[in-house]
Amino acid sequence: MPGTTAGPEIELVEKLNGGAGGGKPPAEGNGGGDDGKRGRKGPPSPSRYYTGIAIGIVSILMFFMALASAFLVRKGTGEWVPVHIPRLLWVNTAILLASSATLEMARKRLAHSDVNGFRNLWRVTTVLGVFFLVGQVAAWRILAGQGIYLATNPASSFFYIFTGAHALHLVGGVCALLYVAWRKQDESHVSLGVVAEVTSYYWHFMDALWLFLLALLYLGK
Amino acid sequence: MVTHDDGDNACVSRKSGFLSRLFSTHHKTIGLQYLWLALASVLVGMVLSALLRLHATWPDRAIPFLASIETTPERFAAIRLLHGSLMVFFVLTAAPQLGFGNYLLPLQIGAEEMAFPSLNLLSFWMTVGSLFGMATSFFLPLNNGINLWLASAAVFSLAALFSSLNFTTTTIEMRAKGMTLPRMPVTVWAWFVNAILSMLIFSVLLAGCAAVLSDRLLGSNFFSTASFLAAQPQNLVRQGSLPILWQRLFWYFAQAEVYVAMLPCFGIVTHLIATFSRKPVWKERLVVLALCGVGLVGFCVWGYHMFATGMNPYAPLVFSVLAASLGIPAAFLLASWLGTLWDGHIQLNSAMLFTLGFISLFIAGGLSGMFLARHDLARAAVNEEFVIGHFHLVMGVAATFAILAALFFWFPKIFGTRLNEGLGKVHFWITFAGVYAIFMPLHWVGLLAQSRVLGEGQRAAIASAGASIRTFVTIATVCTVSAQILFVSNFLYSLLRRAQTEKNNPWRATTLEWSIASPAPADDFGDTTPVVHRGAYEFHSEREIDFVPQHLAPELPAEQAQ
Repeated sequence: MPGTTAGPEIELVEKLNGGAGGGKPPAEGNGGGDDGKRGRKGPPSPSRYYTGIAIGIVSILMFFMALASAFLVRKGTGEWVPVHIPRLLWVNTAILLASSATLEMARKRLAHSDVNGFRNLWRVTTVLGVFFLVGQVAAWRILAGQGIYLATNPASSFFYIFTGAHALHLVGGVCALLYVAWRKQDESHVSLGVVAEVTSYYWHFMDALWLFLLALLYLGK
Repeated sequence: MVTHDDGDNACVSRKSGFLSRLFSTHHKTIGLQYLWLALASVLVGMVLSALLRLHATWPDRAIPFLASIETTPERFAAIRLLHGSLMVFFVLTAAPQLGFGNYLLPLQIGAEEMAFPSLNLLSFWMTVGSLFGMATSFFLPLNNGINLWLASAAVFSLAALFSSLNFTTTTIEMRAKGMTLPRMPVTVWAWFVNAILSMLIFSVLLAGCAAVLSDRLLGSNFFSTASFLAAQPQNLVRQGSLPILWQRLFWYFAQAEVYVAMLPCFGIVTHLIATFSRKPVWKERLVVLALCGVGLVGFCVWGYHMFATGMNPYAPLVFSVLAASLGIPAAFLLASWLGTLWDGHIQLNSAMLFTLGFISLFIAGGLSGMFLARHDLARAAVNEEFVIGHFHLVMGVAATFAILAALFFWFPKIFGTRLNEGLGKVHFWITFAGVYAIFMPLHWVGLLAQSRVLGEGQRAAIASAGASIRTFVTIATVCTVSAQILFVSNFLYSLLRRAQTEKNNPWRATTLEWSIASPAPADDFGDTTPVVHRGAYEFHSEREIDFVPQHLAPELPAEQAQ
């Protein structure tokens, strides 16, 4: 049920806010005994961003699952010439995994109120993300050099659409990373900790999604 | 267009520029804009349907837009697709969920705004863009037209995804104090379940659009033309594959859309029946479960179809399956509606008439669905006209009746005045009789055409009878479409007059949106936080004041309810 999942997140948010101007989310349920007539113009609860990103992730997952099912069905219909995955993809995977690690290290710094350390590690994460994207483009060029294009055969079509759609989603992730890196600490009612955490969920999801797609492309050939 | 002429009437009490209102992120403004969009689309869509009928009956006459049909049959299919996509996307999907939902969801759960207002604005303008694209695709040559239509459908899917993200998060996170899940109005439940369903369905749809579009534009190999043609029923292939492609594409989407269009209507109808019977919803929990059931069935049937066939949009139409699988939750809903009506103090105003009309059409359409649910029977015994009659009754017209009921009901909340009751009732009876006069004969024609046990002479007699029935249907269509002038004039008359200031709660309803002034003020609840103390349908017909609003504190006297 929705109400229960928000509980630990709200506590986490309060911890991350560190009392520095962050709003206390309104208590759920009937407890508290206040009459509800107080002014409501306080900062709104950031918990909506956690719910929002969770729902967004489910939605993106459905998108890729639909493509994955099409991949598995189409694979059985013949005229299937498997694509040999360029070695470069393994390097890219390592880069992406490393970016997730540096992102977590950055957030740990923030939890210890080391904002400078956070920003440095966050920038490293962003650069690694860009490297991954550049690496993916390089992998496409390698394939194109071997004469394998989107229209070559069903397997290559799926290879390009999987990597392309994932890269497109990752571009969004990089934009989010850049936004967090450049925004000021107290720019709006949502604290840096919340934005960083929500972004990290998306980034880790992209990471896991890439592992899944890679496994699908590797084992499914 | 009506949209722009009457934009001034949008209920934003502060005077602000037209442009800033056009790009406002406020949920009431966006909801209203969706409703204007739906109104414009429904008027165009209706005129198109009348033109289609006229052409089908008198193919030799020159009819505007249809002059070139004889030489290019795919134009006819394209007009059908335009009619279908206007109605299904921009009326049936936009009005009950996005229009009324955006306007009322925050008001009914006591939220200040939608969770992500800017995203809401973005998704509205993407919807407008998609409408523009679908309308333009009609004027383009065949191949470009199909590509543009697919791209517009992809944009619509993305917009629907953003909207459902907003609806879901708002319902989960932004409820007022005391608005627990069991206390939520059934309308809110319906919007919520529908948002989750749309999220699952439209992401698959988006993937499908992307794949088909990439096949057509970039030459990729997700679906092959050979397997498309092989999957078509024989009698459809002979007409040439391209016009059929238009229709197939439409059904591929419409299959999913049936559930998305009907769910919020179920919520609206349940809500109105309780209010106008002055009784609590009978077995309210069961109704909520049934709504979840419709959502689940909707996803399973359609999702299974998509996954099992590898999302091939050209797979044969299994439209009839959903009639069978919808049966159980639909029966629950029907039982609850009748149970609520039973022994109620029924108030037969226009809103209630349209609600009852919905139930009638839902039953009638559901019964003919029984035939279609048997796939073998459907193949053998009925033809396309039977299917058209069925889904127009159960989905198109029934949902339109629910939208009209909602409009009559919430008009005072949106514009501060009621629609004229007398005109409303005349409009209802003409339309109600009209849609039966159109779609019931279509069922008969559909059955007649396929009757195989008869001899040659009888068949000839039946064929001539079929022709006269078709003429009757066309005349009924033109009359019913013309009768909508009554509605448009009622609408404009009530808006422009607007002298009569309405009570804040003219229907003596219980939910939170009626606790504030009518029309709703620009800042909704102002500086106060609404607090909810009870369920959404506390009607007590034995008391003098027969309803207890959700926001009324237990210690306050019942007179405060007024």
